[in-house]
Amino acid sequence: MRVSGIKTLIKSRKSPTDLIEVLQDIQASYNYLPEEALRKVSEELKVPLIEVFRVANFYKAFSLNPRGKHLITVCMGTACHVRGSRRLADELLGMLKIKPGQTTADGKFTVETVNCLGACALGPIVVLDGKYHKHMDASKLRNLIQNLRVKQTGKGNAKNKKRLRS
Amino acid sequence: MPKIKNVSDLEKLALRRKKENSAYKKIITVCAGTGCSASGCGDVLKWLRVELSRKKLTRKIKIRTTGCHGFCEQGPLMVIEPGNIFYCQVNPNDIPEIISESIASDKIVERLLYKDPATGHKVIREKDVPFYKSQDRTVLGQNKLVDPCDIIDYISNGGYSALAKVLGKVNPETVIEEVKESGLRGRGGGGFPTGKKWEYCRRAEGTPKYVICNADEGDPGAYMDRSILEGNPHAVLEGMLIGAYAIGASHGFIYVRNEYPLAVQHSREAVREAEDLGLLGKNILGKSFSFDIKIARGGGAFVCGESTALMASLEGKVGEPRPKDIHTTDRGFMDFPTNLNNVETWANVPSIINRGAAWFAGKGKGKSKGTKIFALTGKIKNTGLVEVPMGLSIREVIYDIGGGSSTGKRIKAVQTGGPSGGCIPERLFDLEVDFEALSNAGSMVGSGGMVVMDESTCMVDVAKYFLSFLIDESCGKCVPCRIGLSRMLEIINDITSGNGTEDKLNLLRDTAQTVSIASLCALGKTAPNPVLSTLEHFREEYDAHIKEKRCPAGVCKALVRYRIDKKKCKGCGACLKACPHGAVVKKGSIYGINNAACQKCGICKETCKFCAITVA
Amino acid sequence: MNGTNRYVTLKIDGAIVHAMAGTSVLDTALSYGICIPHLCHMKDLMPAGLCRLCIVEHVKNGKSKVTASCTLEVEEGMVILAHTEKILKARKNIAEMLVAEAPNSRAIQDIAVRCGVKNVRYPFRNKACVLCGRCVRACGEIWRSKSLGFVGRGSERRVALPLNERPEYCKKCNACIDLCPMTITPCPGPMKKGEEYLCGLCESQLSMAKDIEDTCVSCRLGDGFDCVRKRS
Repeated sequence: MRVSGIKTLIKSRKSPTDLIEVLQDIQASYNYLPEEALRKVSEELKVPLIEVFRVANFYKAFSLNPRGKHLITVCMGTACHVRGSRRLADELLGMLKIKPGQTTADGKFTVETVNCLGACALGPIVVLDGKYHKHMDASKLRNLIQNLRVKQTGKGNAKNKKRLRS
Repeated sequence: MPKIKNVSDLEKLALRRKKENSAYKKIITVCAGTGCSASGCGDVLKWLRVELSRKKLTRKIKIRTTGCHGFCEQGPLMVIEPGNIFYCQVNPNDIPEIISESIASDKIVERLLYKDPATGHKVIREKDVPFYKSQDRTVLGQNKLVDPCDIIDYISNGGYSALAKVLGKVNPETVIEEVKESGLRGRGGGGFPTGKKWEYCRRAEGTPKYVICNADEGDPGAYMDRSILEGNPHAVLEGMLIGAYAIGASHGFIYVRNEYPLAVQHSREAVREAEDLGLLGKNILGKSFSFDIKIARGGGAFVCGESTALMASLEGKVGEPRPKDIHTTDRGFMDFPTNLNNVETWANVPSIINRGAAWFAGKGKGKSKGTKIFALTGKIKNTGLVEVPMGLSIREVIYDIGGGSSTGKRIKAVQTGGPSGGCIPERLFDLEVDFEALSNAGSMVGSGGMVVMDESTCMVDVAKYFLSFLIDESCGKCVPCRIGLSRMLEIINDITSGNGTEDKLNLLRDTAQTVSIASLCALGKTAPNPVLSTLEHFREEYDAHIKEKRCPAGVCKALVRYRIDKKKCKGCGACLKACPHGAVVKKGSIYGINNAACQKCGICKETCKFCAITVA
Repeated sequence: MNGTNRYVTLKIDGAIVHAMAGTSVLDTALSYGICIPHLCHMKDLMPAGLCRLCIVEHVKNGKSKVTASCTLEVEEGMVILAHTEKILKARKNIAEMLVAEAPNSRAIQDIAVRCGVKNVRYPFRNKACVLCGRCVRACGEIWRSKSLGFVGRGSERRVALPLNERPEYCKKCNACIDLCPMTITPCPGPMKKGEEYLCGLCESQLSMAKDIEDTCVSCRLGDGFDCVRKRS
C-alpha cells in the first residue's frame, strides 16, 4: 500500500464534506478500503477516525475487505423478488459456499445483493462484473459460473504454458 | 462553443440544430436506456454505424442515441422518422435488412414490428402501440427526442426556454405562485405541494440557500428517476435552475445513486455542458442570477432517500435521519435553508412554466394534478415505464396499458409505493391512482413502483421480503425501527415456517403499530405498511399458514413439497440431470423426488417441459 | 436563540408550565415533576431521540403528531399530551422490546415496570448493549475524545472503537462505563441466558405512588444516572 497513491486520489479535496466522494474513489481503485487509507483520509480531511470508520461501515458501496476477482451482484428488488431472485441468490451462495458480501476462499468470487438496480422490467437481474444478465434462472446462473471457472483455469494454463516456453 | 449571453443566442442555437436535422433524410432513434442496454442495444448501435458507413449513408441518416423509451420488455427499441416506424427486439443481424428496406427505401420489415397480443395484429407506428396509446407522456416522451449528452438537442426541443422566460422577467414570487397554482406535488412519495415548499424555503432566513435533486431512487421496483436522469438530464437541470431562481438559492446538488452509473455519467456530462454554455455559473443569460450544481454519488443506503439523511450524507457523514421538528426548508444542508425535490418533480417544472399552471392543473383529478410515471413490473405482460394522468384507475393501468397477467394466472394484487407502501387487492382495482385514495387503502403512491402479483405470489412472503429489506436498510438509530422490525420479522419467520400462532399474529400487529407511531423518521413510520396492508387484505393467507400450515402460493419453503405427477411424467430424465442436490430419483420408468434431499430450489420445475412437477 | 433569556408558556398534560426558550419538552416536564420515561436522554448531553420512550403527542392546529419530547423544543402556546392512551400503549410496547432485548439491567427492568409491562411476549435476547448511545455521546460531547461511535447499519449497528482498537487519544475517563445502563444488574443479580424474566421488584413502590400525588416512586433508575427526581 502506497500512501502517496491515496494522496493523489484525495487530490485537492480537503473538506470534511468530501469524505464520501474520496472514499468512493479509493474503493474504486483499490477495490476495498485499506486501513492505512482510512487513517490517511482522516488525517488529510481532518475528520475524526471514528467518523471515517463509521462512514466506511455504513454505506454498501464500501468494503473493508478485498473483493474477489469477479463481483456477482444479485438484484433483490421487488420485481426480481416476485420472479424468484431469492431462490437464485440462495442457489448461488450455496454453490459458492459463502454468505452475501463474502468472498470465496480462492478469492475468485464475491457475491453481493443489491436492493434494486432499476432494471425491473428484465428481472431477475444478475450483474456479473458490470454486465447485466436479464431473465436469469438457476440453471443459467450455474452455467455462467461454470463457464467462468473453466475460462479462468483455461487462461491460467495458457499463461503457465507461455511461461514454460519462455 | 461560445457562451449563451441572452435569449436570442439560445434561439439561434435551436434554429441551427433544427436546420441541421431537416437536412437529414431520416433519423433513426435507438433506445440506449439501461433496459435496452441489458438487452444488447450496444451491439445494435455498433452495427448500425458500421452498416451506414459501409453504405455511405452517414451524411444522410442521423442516429440518435436516447434514454429509456419505457417499453423495456420489448427492447432493444428503434424508431425511424419520418413515419414513426417502431421496431422492437432488434438484433444486430437485422441491421442490413432494416437499412436496405426502411432506410434506403420506405418499406417495412414486417417481422420486427410489435405484435399486439390481444388482437394478433402487427402495429407499424409507435404511437399506435397499445402500451403507448393510453399514456400521456409529457415528461417521459421527451426522452426519445433528445440525445441526453447533447445539450443543443435539448435546446432545439424548446429546452431552457422556460428558464429564459422567467429569468429577470418574472419575479420569483410569481414563479412560486405559478407552481402553487399548477397543483404540482412531490413525486418522491410524500406528495407535499411543491410550490408551498419553495415558498417556505424562500421565506426562511439565512444564506446561502440550497436546492437538492433527490436521485437516490432506492425503492425497489421503481426506476423512473433513473430513466429521466439518464435520458433527459437537462430537464432536471432546468427545473432546478427555475426552482433556485424562485427560492433564491445559489447552489445545488444532485444526489444520485452510485448503482446507476449511466445516470451519474449523464448528469455529470449535462452539468459540464450547461457550464460550458453559461447556463450554469455566474450571471446566467446575462442576468444577475448565479447558480451552480454539484453531482454527489450516493453510497448505497436506502435511508439516504429520506431528506435529512440525504443531507447528512451530502455533508460527508453517515446517513442517519434527524428529527424533523425543524424543517429542512429552514435548516437543511449545513444548517442552511434547503429545498429538496425528487427528479420527476424537477423535470415537471419547465413544462409548467412553458405551458402554464392551468394546462398542468387540467390533467389529473381532485388534489392530484398532472401526470405521474409508474414502473409497471412483476407478473405483467408489458413491463416498463408508463406515464398517465393521475386519477386513472389501477385497473386501467394494469390491464389497458400493462396488458394483464404475463403468466395466465389471475392477478391478485399490486404492490405500490415500495417498502413504504402496501398491497392493494384485486377487488379494489377500481381505485383511482392518486395520493389520497392510495393512502386510504393502506398504501401510497410513493415514487411510483407498481409490482403486479399473481396467484403464485405469497403475500406473507411479500411482507417478509419488505421487512427483510427494511431491516437491512434501516439505519438502526432508533429502538422501534431497529428492534421492532426485527421482532416483526421473527414472528413472520415463525409463520412462514409453520410455527405461527394467533397470539403471535396479535403481537405482530401491536409491534407494527408501535413502529409506525414511534419511529424517528419516515422510513420507520411507514415500514409496517406492507405487513399491515397484507394483514388487512389477505388475512386468509396468514390463516392458511398459521392454522393449516400451508402456503397457498407454494412459495414458503418450509411449507411446500415438490412432487412429480406420475401421469404427466414422460421419463425423459431432464430433472434428474438438472437437480444439483441429487434429490430426483428414478422410480421405474418415471421419476420421483426424495424430500429429505430436496432443497426446494425449483430447478427441476423450470426444467420440466411437461409441467409434471408441482409445488404444494 | 437571540441571546435574551425568553420564557415561553406551554401546556403539558393540561398543566401550564414555563420554560426558557431552547429547553426541550422532556426537560421541562421533568422539572415540573411530570414523569416521562426515558433512557437515552441525559441532562448534559445533546438530545438524540434514540430510545423513543419519551414520545408525546404534540397537538398543533387540531392535528396531533407523535414525536420524541427530548428533541422537541418548547414553543409559546404549545400543547403537549404525554400520557394519552395511544402514547401509553406504544411506550409500553417499546419498553417491552427493550427489556426483551436486554433484561440484564436494573434501569431497563425498572423502565419496563414503570411503563406497565406485565409480561414479555418476545423471546429474550439478553444482549449486552441496547445502543442508547450515552457512552458515545459522553465521549464525543463532554470529553471531545471521539474514541467511540456507532458503527454499522441496521442490525449490524454497534458501539465500536475506531478500526476496533483503542486510540491513543482515549482519555480513559471511564465515563462510557459510568453512564452505561447495563452496568447495574437487576436486584436479584445477573440473569443467565435462557433464564431471563421480568424482575418487577420495583412494582410495590409504583402502586403506592399512584395513590399519593406528587410522589417520586424512587425507582432506583436514578442510581448513577442523575435522575432529576432523585435530587429533590
